Amino acid sequence: MTLTSSSPDTQAIDLRDPELRLRALFDQGTLRLLAPRDDSGVLAARGEVDGTPVVAYATDATRMGGAMGTEGCRHIVDSIDTAVRERMPVIGLWHCGGARLQEGVVALDAVGQVFAAMVRASGRVPQISVVLGPAAGGAAYGPALTDIVVMSDTGRIFVTGPEVVRSVTGEQVDMARLGGPEPHGRRSGVVHVTTKDDESALATARELASLLGRQGRVEPADVSGEVDLASLLPEQTNRAYDVKPLVSAVLDKPGVELHAKWAPNIVTTLGRFAGRTVGVIANNPLRLGGCLDSTSAEKAARFVRMCDSLGVPLIVLVDVPGYLPGVGQEWDGVVRRGAKLLHAFAEAVVPRVTLVTRKAYGGAYIAMNSRSLGATAVFAWPNAEVAVMGASAAVNILYRKKLAAAPAEGREALRAELIEEQTRVAGGVNRALEIGVVDDVVKPTETRRRIAEALAAAPAARGAHGNIPL
Amino acid sequence: MAEEIHAEMVANVWKVVKATGETVEEGDTLVILESMKMEIPVVAESTGVLKELVVNEGDVVQEGDLIAVIE
Repeated sequence: MTLTSSSPDTQAIDLRDPELRLRALFDQGTLRLLAPRDDSGVLAARGEVDGTPVVAYATDATRMGGAMGTEGCRHIVDSIDTAVRERMPVIGLWHCGGARLQEGVVALDAVGQVFAAMVRASGRVPQISVVLGPAAGGAAYGPALTDIVVMSDTGRIFVTGPEVVRSVTGEQVDMARLGGPEPHGRRSGVVHVTTKDDESALATARELASLLGRQGRVEPADVSGEVDLASLLPEQTNRAYDVKPLVSAVLDKPGVELHAKWAPNIVTTLGRFAGRTVGVIANNPLRLGGCLDSTSAEKAARFVRMCDSLGVPLIVLVDVPGYLPGVGQEWDGVVRRGAKLLHAFAEAVVPRVTLVTRKAYGGAYIAMNSRSLGATAVFAWPNAEVAVMGASAAVNILYRKKLAAAPAEGREALRAELIEEQTRVAGGVNRALEIGVVDDVVKPTETRRRIAEALAAAPAARGAHGNIPL
Repeated sequence: MAEEIHAEMVANVWKVVKATGETVEEGDTLVILESMKMEIPVVAESTGVLKELVVNEGDVVQEGDLIAVIE
């Protein structure tokens, strides 16, 4: 569980110094230590981030590799409790080999108390973790219990280090491949944001703390400019595209995307919209055709629950062909894991507005913040289609016998005729409008204004639950 | 470092846009797949030379199949 500290050449300034790291995190001159510096292995302080008050703690990698003992853990618990009492975001800077071996089970108990404090604070104040060096054992689960984990290029997270892995399983692996930004950013979903260095990791934490700590309010009057959002989509409706430029254009300016490389078929981004912090969820047709699958449903569900617990309204951009079919998906628990997204949306009380840009089919239509799950408003662009499935697929199922019975030379003409009829009866967005599951068809140029009005009109609310790391 | 690009899902290879030996930039479309009734571009995630492009138009790729290697 514990790493021995690798001491690089002694220099005049040790960049692992926790006070240096905290100073780099806070606005200049705002750092106030919560307790005098000691040899506990943790330094805790209050300060400001773009003028927003925050609390932060940093493990001290210059002392016993930052290992966590009783005193250090007490400092962390105090920081978290202070943040909850004063309703401020709390940021943890991690570079820590785990529990202090010298203290034995006493240290384990102390680490457990840190976990308990994090769970008490979950959903009450934003908790952000920045992993700047190895975070092993207990120090791995610390960040994992918080809302958002940022990792720099030198960050590593694992339960057991390469040496233990080698002695137990015989696998040869280095720290980076075991628990670096690549595996955690792309494969495991442990890390939300990976950055190129420590400086940008701290900058990302600042931006997130500012977004979540000072959320602002929606000002529809501030939505100016007739941006033609539809120009960001290809003209052919069967052509896949990257949805990220659309997400950025809906927001006031590009936000912070979470889990960008993990489950990339759904995009989850925090940013400002009409001046207020919102969460955007969007299907990304470029990846897996934008299908929902087990991992993306879980990713989105956690994001919805985080936003709901912290009072952040949601904007949901829908262009989804359905759930990804296949044995792999079924055995991967797409039913169980997909149910999390249904649960998360149905439970959420924050204002949440849906926009169907091109299509919403089948079960995935329901899952993407549909009216039935309690959407505040559901809008659609003029050519959008809301249906159980696309017209041609529906015709193949509904009229299979009729098509088979038709003479071969006339079959394609009949098929085309049936597809046209099916499109007229069940396609498009008209039926959805009639029964009120789509509130209105909006022009791409007025979309931002309409979403802003819908969000501004909805009563502010916040889910009374924690943010379990789903 | 070589970057391998694999198919994310079962699909038909609808169009091959680049060829082995070509220089590609991040974001360039390498091939276009057809699946879920959509044309889905497979894009380069790094800049480099296409060391291998192993699919042909009309092929069916399974999830995890190698499509290209960029160096």
